[in-house]
Amino acid sequence: MKTITLESMRRMAELAGFDWTDAELEAIRPAVEGALHSLEELEQLPLGGVEPPTYYRVD
Amino acid sequence: MKEIVWLSLSELARKIRAKEISPVEVVQAYLDRINELDPLLKAFITVCGDEALEAARKAESDLLARSQARPLGGVPIALKDLFSTAGIRTTGGSRILADSVPKEDAAVVQRLRAAGAIVLGKLNMHEFAYGPEGLNDHYGHTRNPWDANDLRIAGGSSSGSGAAVAAGLVPAALGSDTGGSIRIPASLCGITGLKPTYGRASRTGVLPLAWSLDHVGPMARTARDCALILKCIAGHDPSDPTSSALPVPDYEAALTGEIQGLRIGLARRFFLESAMPEVREAVERAVKLLEQLGARIEEVNLDSVSYSTPVAFAIVASEALAYHAEWMRARPGDYQTDVRERLMMGAFVTGLHYVRAQQARALIRKEIDRALTGYELLLTPTTPTPATLLGQDEVMLPSGPSDVRSALLSLTRPFNCTGHPACSLPCGFTSAGLPIGMQLVARAFEEATLLRVADAYQRATDWHTRRPPLANRHAAPERPGLDTRYLP
Repeated sequence: MKTITLESMRRMAELAGFDWTDAELEAIRPAVEGALHSLEELEQLPLGGVEPPTYYRVD
Repeated sequence: MKEIVWLSLSELARKIRAKEISPVEVVQAYLDRINELDPLLKAFITVCGDEALEAARKAESDLLARSQARPLGGVPIALKDLFSTAGIRTTGGSRILADSVPKEDAAVVQRLRAAGAIVLGKLNMHEFAYGPEGLNDHYGHTRNPWDANDLRIAGGSSSGSGAAVAAGLVPAALGSDTGGSIRIPASLCGITGLKPTYGRASRTGVLPLAWSLDHVGPMARTARDCALILKCIAGHDPSDPTSSALPVPDYEAALTGEIQGLRIGLARRFFLESAMPEVREAVERAVKLLEQLGARIEEVNLDSVSYSTPVAFAIVASEALAYHAEWMRARPGDYQTDVRERLMMGAFVTGLHYVRAQQARALIRKEIDRALTGYELLLTPTTPTPATLLGQDEVMLPSGPSDVRSALLSLTRPFNCTGHPACSLPCGFTSAGLPIGMQLVARAFEEATLLRVADAYQRATDWHTRRPPLANRHAAPERPGLDTRYLP
């Protein structure tokens, strides 16, 4: 399971402009670790030549 | 008077056109029913009684004056409370928008009104559509009408839409679907719900959860009713940048009852085999019936759909937090706990995760498109479990214990990632009397095929005509100490 420290979470939240308490961050830490672990699965996929389906359309 | 509320939307529209019943009579029957049952069900956030009766009187005059009746003339409909309604508050099921009154209707609401529909009210939902259970700390948790006294969830996030249609409080509703929020409550409440192709119905004026995954669509008792509503709301909207300009077919005309030779791919791995035994058996019986009706059914593997969980997480968490960032800084305490915590998680998804998720989404889409070259439709259960109890954290699936939220989303979410049209329709009941839904998925913009098969199935079955018992019509107390927090 991927782990993330409280300090890393604090820093990421701060960078995103959120002032969350340690207790609030601790409460979601297991869920964040689970989610980061599942996101690692995407790195196993052959995505090298795949263009993401996000586009900017000029009408 | 009671029987009016059990007529389908199509029957109501026809009877009103034929002047067999008056719109005022119809609206009053539903208002009486809401008054009787909504204190128990908590399906509505706002009931527009006076406005609806006034609109019904106008519809009655219109009927006498017009030579050409409108498709939904005088028919009441209700809206999940994230569709903007001019002059009527649109809360998103939140405290933050409790007093927000839009100046304009959402594009699809404008289209419904232009088709003659009467807005009966605004329906309860999981706060800001961010949860598949249909929980709401501010307006009460919507109860499932099939077991309201034992406090079961209606499913979400369009919980009020599912419960209100199932309990006969309204003949049809609009819902929205980012990971299954139309199809999950349709499945758990025993009604029919359609998520159209991404871009088929406009999102303008609809509060977003995640722009690139949000869909809007009808929830009703029958596939025919969904066809009637979709015909009214679909079509190009220049103010929605993702809206499709493809022409809108006549969905009702496609309902021929004929499915001879139609090829359906049954998704066993990941889908059918993950469902609880009673759900699996009901879906397998539905498969046999579709074969008897002439469909050719083969098993199909969709291997990449297992990636839809991290894909959807990265996209929804990022887009939802981006939308809510300002309120999350200024008023975090005004969110219910589970929604605030889900929103917080978006801060820990990096740009790399988001792009990887979008790339993986393209792979999943490609695989579903490829599968749909060999089949007109795919068939799966809608949810692996029937409605769970309010406050229940875990459900036992064949693969082992799962948190309720993940289980509810698991089979619907892949088709939000791909944008394919998908509907849920009732295909049986558990031994405890809870509805079971099956999901049909079609090629992009082939809603007509989807609805044709759903309608053919409903011509041959009566699951969609059954009514919830609601035997003890008294308001149940809130369950004390209910914890709505989500930790996967």
